[in-house]
Amino acid sequence: METKMINIKINGNDYQAPDGITILDACKRAGIEIPTLCYLEDVSRNSSCGVCVVEVKGARSLVRSCTACVHEGTEIMTNSARIRDARKTNVELILANHPKDCLSCLRNQNCELQAIASDLGVKEDRFIRTKKEQLCDETSPSIIRDPNKCILCGRCIAVCGNVQTVYAIGLSGRGIRTKISTYMEKGLGNVACTNCGQCALVCPTGAIVERDDTDEVFEDIMNPDKVVVVQTAPAIRVGIGEAMGMNSGALVTGQMVAGLRRLGFNKVFDTQFAADLTIMEEGHELLKRLSNKGTLPMITSCSPGWIKFAEHFFPNSLDYLSTCKSPQQMFGSVAKTYYAAKMGIDPRKMVVVSIMPCTAKKYEAKRPEMMSAFEHWKDKKGWSNDDAFYDVDYVLTTRELARMFKESGIQFSGLPAEEFDSPIGESTGAAVIFGATGGVMEAALRTVYEVVTGKPLANINLTSVRGMEGIKEAEIDMNGTKVKVAVAHTLGNARKLLEQIEKGESPYAFIEVMTCPGGCLGGGGQPIPTTWDIRKKRAESIYAEDAHKLIRKSHENPEVVALYKEFLKEPLGHISHHLLHTTYEKRGLFVWKSNGEAKKKKKETEHA
Amino acid sequence: MDGTQTLSRELQEIDSVVTKHKGQHGELLSILEETQLLNEQKFLSEEALNHVALRTGVPLSRVYNVVTFFSFFNLKPQGKHTLTVCRGTACHTKGSKALLDDLGLMLGCSKELEEGESFFTTPDNRFTISTVACFGQCALAPVVAIDGIIHSHVTTAKLQKLLGKISKEKKKS
Repeated sequence: METKMINIKINGNDYQAPDGITILDACKRAGIEIPTLCYLEDVSRNSSCGVCVVEVKGARSLVRSCTACVHEGTEIMTNSARIRDARKTNVELILANHPKDCLSCLRNQNCELQAIASDLGVKEDRFIRTKKEQLCDETSPSIIRDPNKCILCGRCIAVCGNVQTVYAIGLSGRGIRTKISTYMEKGLGNVACTNCGQCALVCPTGAIVERDDTDEVFEDIMNPDKVVVVQTAPAIRVGIGEAMGMNSGALVTGQMVAGLRRLGFNKVFDTQFAADLTIMEEGHELLKRLSNKGTLPMITSCSPGWIKFAEHFFPNSLDYLSTCKSPQQMFGSVAKTYYAAKMGIDPRKMVVVSIMPCTAKKYEAKRPEMMSAFEHWKDKKGWSNDDAFYDVDYVLTTRELARMFKESGIQFSGLPAEEFDSPIGESTGAAVIFGATGGVMEAALRTVYEVVTGKPLANINLTSVRGMEGIKEAEIDMNGTKVKVAVAHTLGNARKLLEQIEKGESPYAFIEVMTCPGGCLGGGGQPIPTTWDIRKKRAESIYAEDAHKLIRKSHENPEVVALYKEFLKEPLGHISHHLLHTTYEKRGLFVWKSNGEAKKKKKETEHA
Repeated sequence: MDGTQTLSRELQEIDSVVTKHKGQHGELLSILEETQLLNEQKFLSEEALNHVALRTGVPLSRVYNVVTFFSFFNLKPQGKHTLTVCRGTACHTKGSKALLDDLGLMLGCSKELEEGESFFTTPDNRFTISTVACFGQCALAPVVAIDGIIHSHVTTAKLQKLLGKISKEKKKS
């Protein structure tokens, strides 16, 4: 059905607009920008801030343009003394309860409240504070919430509930006591939160931020006793440029490597190497499941937010998950075993830092089972538990890396392009596309198809699994066997596919799930803002890098081939089983019931 | 053992409350209301809320949102007796603030009052003190409701007498 076009007037000029769209959208179509604060395209329109008010002829009061719709003959005024005054007052009222410690806030100069206050010409601190000081929520290893900085725009609740269907946070209380809470004020670390960080990505202020680990990393880099190696996820090379003031989606692989060397990392490696390794393991796992009538569909396990989501919301369906660790964790365990041995480095002195587009990775790295390298060496070297170390020591988001570059005075855009270090730095085009939704699927099929049929895919570009559609599907003919696959991004879409599986109606053999909208390139640790336009630009750069790679299939990565030859022997082999595969935990919704256990565990690790 | 039995009985009762209201418009409110009344201490325990969320499929954060929004819902055990001091304008000018403070002193809860809490329960769980904005009984100001009965022209002395009466009743029974 075609939408009816209606006639409206904006600031005295005639325009046509589809019937029933919001005044904000109608003005945007007409090229007239209205300032907004709580509104976020595709995520939330709460009309809680009162910044987007306009005058509508005949209306009793000013109208919030993000929710009010246009009708035939609507006459809108977007700029008048009354409007400017109201907008400014509304922002001043919000500022009354907002701390004035902007200079030491992680979102300084990247804060929508700061920007709008400046845009609207707020010049004085007119109103007194009415709210009491509240405690920060520091229970999560990934995300920190400071309710004092919160302006109750509701974006985080909308993205957590409507997009991710996690509902870890919600409003509580009423009137002046209204705040964003977790269930019974338990804190994000003690409820069913997936640590995806989309809340931090959409927060207009510094009320929700990633846990900053940059100081610890700087300290280890400066420590001469430690060998500090860094790995970078595929999505960083299309995100860090943005955070350093370049264009959206700027592809800066070489500069990123150069920048990391200048920060003082001893070796700069690529998580993409481990992504190729993941494809080798996951591809063979899929083949094994297909031929042995194992649990199908098999679902990818690269995205730690998704893993925790499944553990909380679908604890009885964990057998569908691939047992493969994520590339980050595979890298950590290979670096501290194979690489350490090859280079003669004491793995206890090795520090593995990951640069990830992701806040959930911070949690993943500290999962108690992620100490495979230590387990590998323990008996061989006769080490005690006092020597225990994680496979990955620190996880920094793209935003934190940008902070380190700035703090170190690195002129990023002027850096020469440099290459990753060897022997665990080489990667293929298949690994690059891990950063975009559909990428893992495409990479896996490039390898699996060739292993099964003995010949390469006719067209290496599987465009049917590319793009920003919520759930994509494709069918591949492998020697007469038709294999149906699906790709989902956002946990809301993943939930749909899981529910289908639990009903026994899933037609798929293999499913890729990415937690964040657009895949890792839209991850919770990426530069702010991350909009759909920006996600698309980052995706374009990802696929451009893939197209330019000489080797585009994981099983052809020479360093991965060498790794198998020298160390792992074969995919799904004995060493792989210990170093590259993992297990999952049935968590359920009421996680804090095991609080006693958690405390015990915490004590144990403290002793360790 | 006794405690866990009471709890499992309460959870079973919640199940039937949920079944009764399932599918109705605004079911969560009705379910929470009846669940609170099931509890002897007239409050929603965490176990009860968990169970409601589990049975209704409503996310925990949303359940918490509802129970913290409405002042009807209690997240802490309620005293055997409820004292509600009216803090409306008429009662205020007739000294209801002093009444509230004195009540705090009498029941050993001055600390809570100083911290700005106007809703608290004595440590022995005998009294819960709360305030309302207005009872609509301004001509009788100041008024205090004790277990739902409104007492007019209340003074500190009268309050002491009323509290004494409640204590005696308790001894008799």
